[in-house]
Amino acid sequence: MSITDLTSMGEPQTEQRKEINERLRRLQDEISDYCYQCAKCTSGCEAHKLLELEPHKIVALLKRGLIDEMINSEIIWTCMSCFKCRERCPQKVAPVEILFALKNLAVASGKQIPGNYTAMLQSVLSIGLLQDVKSITTKDNKTKTRTDLGLPEISKPADPTKFQMMLSKIAVEKV
Amino acid sequence: MDNKIGVFVCHCGINIASTVNVKDLVDYAKTLDGVAVSKDYKYMCSDVGANLIKDSIKKNKLDGVVIACCSPRMHEHTFRGVVEAGGINAFNLEIANIREQCSWVHEDKYRATEKAKALVCGAVAKAKLLEPLEPSKIKVNPTALVIGGGIAGIQSALDLAEEGHKVYLVEKSPTIGGRMAQLDKTFPTLDCSSCILTPKMMEVANHSNVELLTYSEVTGVEGSIGNYTVKVNKKARYVDLDKCTGCGDCVEACRLKGRIISEFDEGLGKRSAVYIPFPQAVPLKCTIDKDTCLMLTRGKCGTGPLCVEACDAGAIDFKQKDEEVELNVGAIVVATGYDVLDPSAMHEYGYGRSDDVITTLGMERLINSSGPTSGEILRPSNGEKPKSITYILCVGSRDETECTWCCRIGCMSALKHVYLLKEKLGDDVEINVCYTDIRSFGKGYEEFYRKIRGMKTNFFRGRPSEVRNAGDHMTIDIFDTTTNKLFEIKTDLVVLVPALVPRADSDEFARILRISQSADGFYLEAHPKLRPMDTFTGGTFIAGCCQGPKDIQDSVAQASGAAARAANILSKKELESEPLISCVDEDLCSGCSTCIAICPYNAIELDTEKDGKSHAKVNEALCMGCGACVVSCPSGAMQQKGFKDKQIKPMIEETVKK
Repeated sequence: MSITDLTSMGEPQTEQRKEINERLRRLQDEISDYCYQCAKCTSGCEAHKLLELEPHKIVALLKRGLIDEMINSEIIWTCMSCFKCRERCPQKVAPVEILFALKNLAVASGKQIPGNYTAMLQSVLSIGLLQDVKSITTKDNKTKTRTDLGLPEISKPADPTKFQMMLSKIAVEKV
Repeated sequence: MDNKIGVFVCHCGINIASTVNVKDLVDYAKTLDGVAVSKDYKYMCSDVGANLIKDSIKKNKLDGVVIACCSPRMHEHTFRGVVEAGGINAFNLEIANIREQCSWVHEDKYRATEKAKALVCGAVAKAKLLEPLEPSKIKVNPTALVIGGGIAGIQSALDLAEEGHKVYLVEKSPTIGGRMAQLDKTFPTLDCSSCILTPKMMEVANHSNVELLTYSEVTGVEGSIGNYTVKVNKKARYVDLDKCTGCGDCVEACRLKGRIISEFDEGLGKRSAVYIPFPQAVPLKCTIDKDTCLMLTRGKCGTGPLCVEACDAGAIDFKQKDEEVELNVGAIVVATGYDVLDPSAMHEYGYGRSDDVITTLGMERLINSSGPTSGEILRPSNGEKPKSITYILCVGSRDETECTWCCRIGCMSALKHVYLLKEKLGDDVEINVCYTDIRSFGKGYEEFYRKIRGMKTNFFRGRPSEVRNAGDHMTIDIFDTTTNKLFEIKTDLVVLVPALVPRADSDEFARILRISQSADGFYLEAHPKLRPMDTFTGGTFIAGCCQGPKDIQDSVAQASGAAARAANILSKKELESEPLISCVDEDLCSGCSTCIAICPYNAIELDTEKDGKSHAKVNEALCMGCGACVVSCPSGAMQQKGFKDKQIKPMIEETVKK
């Protein structure tokens, strides 16, 4: 399974688009109508300072049904999925869930995924992690590994081929 | 011989008529056995409708009436009056609820009409067997109990006392005054809170009709409207109230002086183990805190208790015990107030992690000249004057994960603080207000908001997501939706405006009082618009924030309202009680006493006759007609008037048959 199979689905996938549209409609009914635009999500958004993601605006755009505007914009790819917006929203609105659905919809519509994303996916496919385990350098310039710090080893997929196959199966539904 | 019945069907405008075929229903009722007349009208509860019923009773010599209309909760009382005016007993009336239980909950017209027919058919079956009943009279105890000595309780007690009623005012803490005593100024007029509160405190304490029970808790309520018996636990103060002069020498002498966290100062100040909460306390007497006092927790205090040594009046008494008293009253006003949400639950705002994150009530204590800093605004962390203060509104309010409701006072109290802080710290102090919506809905509130807008205040429209400690200051990121920009606020003092919540013991206390709570936990009014001070328990009323968050003006208004509602009862010599109570068939009763054990009102006793045979006997003044004895009776001897087996069974049979 190569990376292209996962990320650029080529032809727009009508069935899937329908299903995701339905998901967005549900999100609109269930949560975005209740958003009162306090922007607590944006105040705390990890992707806002550098990447100018405004989750509260995503919710407002969904409320107005401006979905095309969002899936044509690269801004939806800046969400780091930290889930802080969902944790802290006073109205139980979860912009992060909307962003997941929008990203899925973009892929199903045959949109190109930004380059960094593809690199991340490649890493997940090959080693099962966003990035390989690294050592850190302390203030007094000493290098420490996880073992030095008494942290457990991070497990990686035992059978990379099988892992990739399973992942692609899931990826048909979600990026 | 069964009663001769008239059936009257109400359209309720289109409420019933749009779903139930009224004409069909009227025609059907005419075919029922025992029905002499069947009529309909657009609004049966109107004068015309009432006259229609009255005239029909006379003309057709009816013995009983069935009205097919809205819920009996709505108009049973009205129609009893109509039936009585028509010349028959008020209790020879049966309501068939074809609105709430039929037209409002069904869409299919045919089936709704069929169901309405079944309900009417059953009601007619019961009405044929109803017996005339006479209400019994209950003597009313004209004394009132007010629970809670905050501004609402004080107002209710004063109003009732002025009406000429004896009032017991029970307060849990050592002094009356409540939350209002903690405040510095009040919005929007900026009246000094204690200047307007203390005269009321003095007035209520000195009123000849008021008996004040401070440091006391209501532990049990029995009886019902007109005649309650209330148990009150007078907690030991370990100070003889008659001897204590309130001089405060013991407070100064206490070995733990300045070491106990002061609840009154919201944790920002310290007190002694023996204390007077604030200088204007009423009664101005000392109280020893049994949870911290060394004598009371360990049995010894250094070489001897210094308070005893310091007290010239000899008022300290470590042997004092809690004392239980019993009060007999006719009505109860509950004014137990509110708690403030502990904002450490909202961990992102740093309350409890940083000393410089405080609450609005904490800020009240800092501003107040009798507060822990004598009215100086100082950062709790280092005692320095803050150059920048930031308010975060709606902390836990309007929040589906904490409190769904609006606290109704947060916006205005923050605006008030802006004014007071500018006055104290000068125009140079930077004040940021992070708001979601400013709700300035009361009289004079919007004008006050405008005034603060003009005072060089930084209003950010948005909610911060986090308060971070940054060494000697704190930083807050806030996305301001008016400019569409993210701002980083560096600030010295963060003031959270937390939600108002029901008191911690409100569930338990609701059970003691036998009153209901709404989903949010506040005490439930009998009707949100038309009976806002009543509870579903007759003779028990609610006032102030125990019913829901409100400001001082609304609390006082509601308190006077609750007093008026209570006086309505207390001013009557006797009340008529519902005759729908239980009765005993003495021939069937074996005297097994099952009902006596189950009765929640102690209304049943065992009566032994000369021949030694005993049977249950119902005290009609105490019976509330709950029906618990009826269902528990193994022999069927216990019956409820108006709901006897022989009346209900045919009703069920006929309803089901149809």
